[in-house]
Amino acid sequence: MIKRLIARLRRHYHGVRVAFCCLLGLLILADLLVPRHHVYFIGDEIPGFWGLFGLLACMLIIVVSKWLGHVWLFRPEDYYERRGGKK
Amino acid sequence: MTTDFFIHPAFLFFAGMVAVPLARGVWRQALVLLVPLMALATVVLLAPGLHGQVELHGLTLTFGRVDRLALVFANVFTLMAFIGAIYGLHLADPWQQSAAMGYVGSALGCVFAGDYLTLFLFWEGLMVFSAALVFLRRTKGAVAAGYRYMLVHVFGGLLLLGGILLQYHQAGSITFTAIDPAAAGPAQYLILAGFLLNAAVPPLHAWLPDAYGSATVVGSVFMCAYTTKTAVYALIRSFAGFEILIVLGVVMALYGVVYAVLENDARRLLSYHIISQVGYMVAGVGIGTELAINGACAHAFAHILYKGLLFMGVGSVLHVTGRSRFSELGGLWRYMPWTLVFTLVGGLSISAFPLFSGFVTKSMIISGAWEDHLQWAALGLTLASAGTFLHTGLKVPYFIWFWRERPAFAPPRREAPLNMLVAMALASYYCILIGIRPDTLYRLLPYAVDYQPYTPTHVMASLQILLFTMLGFFLLIKKLYPEPEIGLDLDWFYRRGGVAFTTFCRRVLRLVDEEVIRNLHQTLFLPLLRGLAGLAAWNDRRLVDGVVDGTAGAVLRFGETMRFFMQPGILSRYVARTLTVLAGIILLTLWIR
Repeated sequence: MIKRLIARLRRHYHGVRVAFCCLLGLLILADLLVPRHHVYFIGDEIPGFWGLFGLLACMLIIVVSKWLGHVWLFRPEDYYERRGGKK
Repeated sequence: MTTDFFIHPAFLFFAGMVAVPLARGVWRQALVLLVPLMALATVVLLAPGLHGQVELHGLTLTFGRVDRLALVFANVFTLMAFIGAIYGLHLADPWQQSAAMGYVGSALGCVFAGDYLTLFLFWEGLMVFSAALVFLRRTKGAVAAGYRYMLVHVFGGLLLLGGILLQYHQAGSITFTAIDPAAAGPAQYLILAGFLLNAAVPPLHAWLPDAYGSATVVGSVFMCAYTTKTAVYALIRSFAGFEILIVLGVVMALYGVVYAVLENDARRLLSYHIISQVGYMVAGVGIGTELAINGACAHAFAHILYKGLLFMGVGSVLHVTGRSRFSELGGLWRYMPWTLVFTLVGGLSISAFPLFSGFVTKSMIISGAWEDHLQWAALGLTLASAGTFLHTGLKVPYFIWFWRERPAFAPPRREAPLNMLVAMALASYYCILIGIRPDTLYRLLPYAVDYQPYTPTHVMASLQILLFTMLGFFLLIKKLYPEPEIGLDLDWFYRRGGVAFTTFCRRVLRLVDEEVIRNLHQTLFLPLLRGLAGLAAWNDRRLVDGVVDGTAGAVLRFGETMRFFMQPGILSRYVARTLTVLAGIILLTLWIR
């Protein structure tokens, strides 16, 4: 059941992608119509703010973490088993 | 309700811990399931109040302080114990089940403890039994990780004990209760440090991924639930409203996210996300309002279930394939589809997708931050929640089940064992139940809740953040391809430090021993000792021997002289001497009369 569903989704990969992008567009459109009751933050009033926030946050996290990893934190997997501990 | 009836739920687990290794086969399985069920029933029937108080040398130890806060945690602890028991039902190794029971019992002991000494007792129990769950994997790496885990937690336990003793010395009280932030001194901060170590707050956090990534499959399912959440409970109990916790919590939430990007091992990635998620709770405790405390409790409740679910999913993959590194996995969707579905439920719950449990709990803490005008904290936590979805919701399923067309190794021939699937299904059920009917959880919380998670603004904001994070994930997916490396973390200090210390011992101390001490020995100490020995010998020969020999010679000579005078061998002299003595005696007698 699940296998067939996944296989079908994978066959229609392009369609899934288009559908996903449409969903994102719809979300922004729907955001224009949402009544704003609990406004805690200026971002709550700008339609699409949180979408942009999510996209930027995701990219920021990936880029900054990977950068930190490559310039500083990454070590081979047997790092702690080696006696010298050289990179 | 009467307060007479009280069975400590921990007692059931400790009894089970002893009984489990003695039972065999079906009986053991029945026992393993029955104990958490009985404990669950006991927790439901517990009446609020103080039970099980023992007087000891003028101290009152309270083993059963039952109130709403304790009951929230006791409920989820026993529930998770049941789910974990199902998950570990296939185990042939009774010691894992036994250690898990001791572990759950200790956590419940902490939750119901009414004073710091009782808390400390069970706190150490937590450490011992969870370390056992690491050791029981019985690989070289796991044993080493177990020792590191124990050392770190012994250190944390000592901080806690030091704080408790200092507090007792200063205030004369060891009641485990709220501490006023204004009145906190060194004693209270030591206790706080002990709690923060168990809550895995940086810089005291590196033990967590180290141990949870090394424990047994079933062991890590248990471990991810209890140690950190017991610490969160302790923080709520004693340190609500300490503002430093807000900063630490936000730092934690982001720290875990950054390291999760770097992580190649699925269980270690999930471990870093425990740090991140506990960050939300710690921040909630720091905010300290009723909403935030409720949020911390609710989030702990939901977190135990979804994080257990995630560890179960990844653990099933490890159990079936023997692999947990993303760089070795991929393409499993054809072989383990149900595990994928349950892991996705866990991933969507932790990511706070609407209709899943994280959505109704995490938002309470973030709303608490907004309402307290802590905009930076709320934004930091929202940023971290994007990262949560990025990793646990997307990276974990994608790189285990998709990514490659086929697994890079001989594909597994079966799904996870049935008991594992049942346990995952049960946890998924609770994750969704809490998501669609938050009231079931909200009515358990310590304060009355008038919070409504499903407002249009909130749902819309969450969906936008999550779906656009998904967009970002697929845009940058090439950057995320797993790299078979490890990220340096603060365990470097004691892992490298340990190596440096042994090197120091081997090189420097041995050199000092061999060169300096031996030379000193030969050039200074030995001649000195020889001289002393010579002096003693001279003294013995000349003085002592002289005195003894002289005395003996004198006695001999005196004896000779006496014999010459006294025994000459002439009869007349003997007769004369005898008469003289006789006359002397007569005269003496007469004189006396």
